[in-house]
Amino acid sequence: MTGVVLTLRLGRWGIVGFSLAAFVLTFVQTTGFYQIAGSTPGARAAFGASMATLAAQFVALFPPPIRPDTVGGYVEFRGFHPLAILFAVWALASATGFVRGDEERGTVEAALATGTSRVALIASRVAGFAIAITVASAAAGAGFVFGVALGHETVEAQRVIEASLLLAAIGLACYALSLLAAQVAGPSASTAVAGALLLALFIDNSLSRAMASLTTWRWLSPFRYYDLSQPLPPGGNFDGRAFLVLIGIGVVAAGAAAAAFMRRDLGAPLVSGPRIPHRLRHDASTAPWWKVAVVRGLYERRLGLLAWCAGMAVLAAVFVALTRTIVQVLLSIPTLLPYLSIFVHQQLYPAVLGYTWFNVAQLLFAALAITYVARWSAEDTDGRLEILLSQPQSRAAIVLERMTVLAASAVLIAAASGAVLYYASHQQGIDLNTQRLTAASLMLVPFALVFAGAGSLLAAWNPRAAVALLGAFAFASYLDTELATIYRLPVWIQDLSAFKLFGTPLLNGIDGRNLALMLLLALAGLGSSILAMQRRDVGA
Amino acid sequence: MLVEMALVAIRTSKLTKDYGAARGLFELDLQVSPQEVFGYLGPNGSGKTTTIRLLMGMIRPTTGSAHVFGLDCVRDSVEVKRKVGYLPGDVPQFGSLRGSEIVAYLGGMRGGVDRRHVRAIAERLDLDLNRRFREYSSGNKQKLAILLAFMHRPELLVLDEPTSGLDPLNQQEFYAMLREARDDGATVFLSSHILSEVEHVCDRVGILRSGRLVRVAQLDELRRIRVHRVEVEFAPDAEVPEARLRSAPGVESLQVEGSRVTCTIRGSFDGLLDAISDSEVTDLVSTEPSLEEFFLSFFGEPRPKALPA
Repeated sequence: MTGVVLTLRLGRWGIVGFSLAAFVLTFVQTTGFYQIAGSTPGARAAFGASMATLAAQFVALFPPPIRPDTVGGYVEFRGFHPLAILFAVWALASATGFVRGDEERGTVEAALATGTSRVALIASRVAGFAIAITVASAAAGAGFVFGVALGHETVEAQRVIEASLLLAAIGLACYALSLLAAQVAGPSASTAVAGALLLALFIDNSLSRAMASLTTWRWLSPFRYYDLSQPLPPGGNFDGRAFLVLIGIGVVAAGAAAAAFMRRDLGAPLVSGPRIPHRLRHDASTAPWWKVAVVRGLYERRLGLLAWCAGMAVLAAVFVALTRTIVQVLLSIPTLLPYLSIFVHQQLYPAVLGYTWFNVAQLLFAALAITYVARWSAEDTDGRLEILLSQPQSRAAIVLERMTVLAASAVLIAAASGAVLYYASHQQGIDLNTQRLTAASLMLVPFALVFAGAGSLLAAWNPRAAVALLGAFAFASYLDTELATIYRLPVWIQDLSAFKLFGTPLLNGIDGRNLALMLLLALAGLGSSILAMQRRDVGA
Repeated sequence: MLVEMALVAIRTSKLTKDYGAARGLFELDLQVSPQEVFGYLGPNGSGKTTTIRLLMGMIRPTTGSAHVFGLDCVRDSVEVKRKVGYLPGDVPQFGSLRGSEIVAYLGGMRGGVDRRHVRAIAERLDLDLNRRFREYSSGNKQKLAILLAFMHRPELLVLDEPTSGLDPLNQQEFYAMLREARDDGATVFLSSHILSEVEHVCDRVGILRSGRLVRVAQLDELRRIRVHRVEVEFAPDAEVPEARLRSAPGVESLQVEGSRVTCTIRGSFDGLLDAISDSEVTDLVSTEPSLEEFFLSFFGEPRPKALPA
């Protein structure tokens, strides 16, 4: 019991943050539905048809919605499905944080030294996360219920409970699978291995919606069992067996993780590679990159950077492959043809690719910025910033070097994904404007810098809270662009969102004003973070 | 004035860092001469690390000022750090970087370091730089921190409890390195809560208590004021010279239980040795008191709960 309480205590900010995010997302999407869907049956039917079209473009992310003309169908699609991805990321961070962070900080050793068995420790962590994700899932359900009440409609409690239970179950399954992967890989590779596993399982299920060849493998993915239920819309269903399979995955994977934990040494993977003969050394490294600012930062992050480049390149290729399927779906809807010819001027493929790929790329570049900010915060708390500042470098130089490393990383990742996007499109016979593709890919760099600027300021102001606050900022920024038109927010508020400022560069080219605004926001973040860093106490 | 300040390695004037609730550092006036090894002694939470962080420009003073070789620790912090080798109280984390890479990384930030000097220190401390930081034991992490502080032959070494985690052999090696650095012209500012360590290597000692500098003492003065707890076991048939012990100079808190005597010795042992010289002693154990006990004895503070009666 103490272990469970400790788990909840360690993860309290995650619980508060994700519960709040879940509540806000479902509440805002529910109230947003009443703003835009109309109140007559005809208006809602037309809205449902347009949502079905939109959903076809996101087939790689979410399953097609059922009855998007109803509040249940709409919020299931716009609220609960994105939350399933968000909760999977939370599960990944939490599980690998236990294996990597807690083990390196000695928390795991201290817990085991009290006489707690390894099985009990794993069980307490799993139970703690189960409670946490149940609370956050209940918050998602509550947001939906409040929103529906404000719309003067009613909803069956059983459906909301089922939707919330499904969210908790997918989160728990992802947590247990991440925990297992992390236990096998050991602390140093835990995040990469668990992340790769979850991404592969997600893509396996997502692509199986568009690629028939993958349907034979989708049973492997927990996301498949989540997709089998859509309890909120009228005519929707709750697949009890699929729900039990998700719980079963969680229990079996947690058990396997406990078994792996019992068999491995603390700080080491379950299976070690062959031992390389060790050579004693008393010299400093002579590699030239350590002497060059920014280059040393890139070199230190080289493995992560390579993983980002490779991952984004693979995703870019996948999205190009999906574009054909999506476009075929759109073209098969006769009522859409006039709309498509008016609005995209025969550029259907670039329009779809620009909309789907660059939407996902924006989210991932925001995530990239958050991972860098997490690193900056960690440097502050683990004493590394103090030793860097004890060298003859100004605080401004340190902040500037951090931001430049992030900018250079973003350029490399954008270039890799852009090059693959171009090559794969060419192979698929999709004609993309090279100049616009280059511009759109590079536009991701100032986009990431907006988040980096905000993150740099937060890390300088309060490093312990920086990641959570930046996550909230990214979430609010995303909501801003999603809901600004629905709630008729002032233009200047819309312009604060980097997602809005990114625009549609692949289709319409770069908007100079938006680019300037993004650079201005990034520079404001950089400048204010330098000022904040100059004034703050480090290590106190 | 500026020339005068430059002749002093460290000078603080009414230096204050107030964290509230009487925590922090208050009105520190301190002067350390070049080539001096200055010990900074105080129990946990007395303000040692706060002083060091103020000198390094990591934190800003509430009031007052600190100068290193005439340079303001806030305004000229980059120049100050060019002259300083710093060993923080907690070894920073470098994850999966190898020792050789960490040295190159921080050396690169200094514009390069003398590789032969790095090699000499690493060999001397028997530190394998081919290992990843996370593979190092706590002692090896401390050795690496020492190497990082010494690698650029700084004019001033600012060391926050430098021997924690080192085995006795490496402690001796470290003390020798300190002496050599001083002989080569370096100044050393060393914080510690171990009385014998300060006594072993320092020329002068500043004693800090509750954020205030209460005494700056020469080494012989420190030896005079320090105390030892002594247990003397007399032979079973021997007479305990209780009266002589009670009147012996420096002997305090005497307790006699049969043939066993316990007492506290302040300063020299001569009085005790004279008093027992005519008796047959089977065992004599002298224990150095902890810093808390030293303060208890020296300042007459109320006894902390953690200490035995």
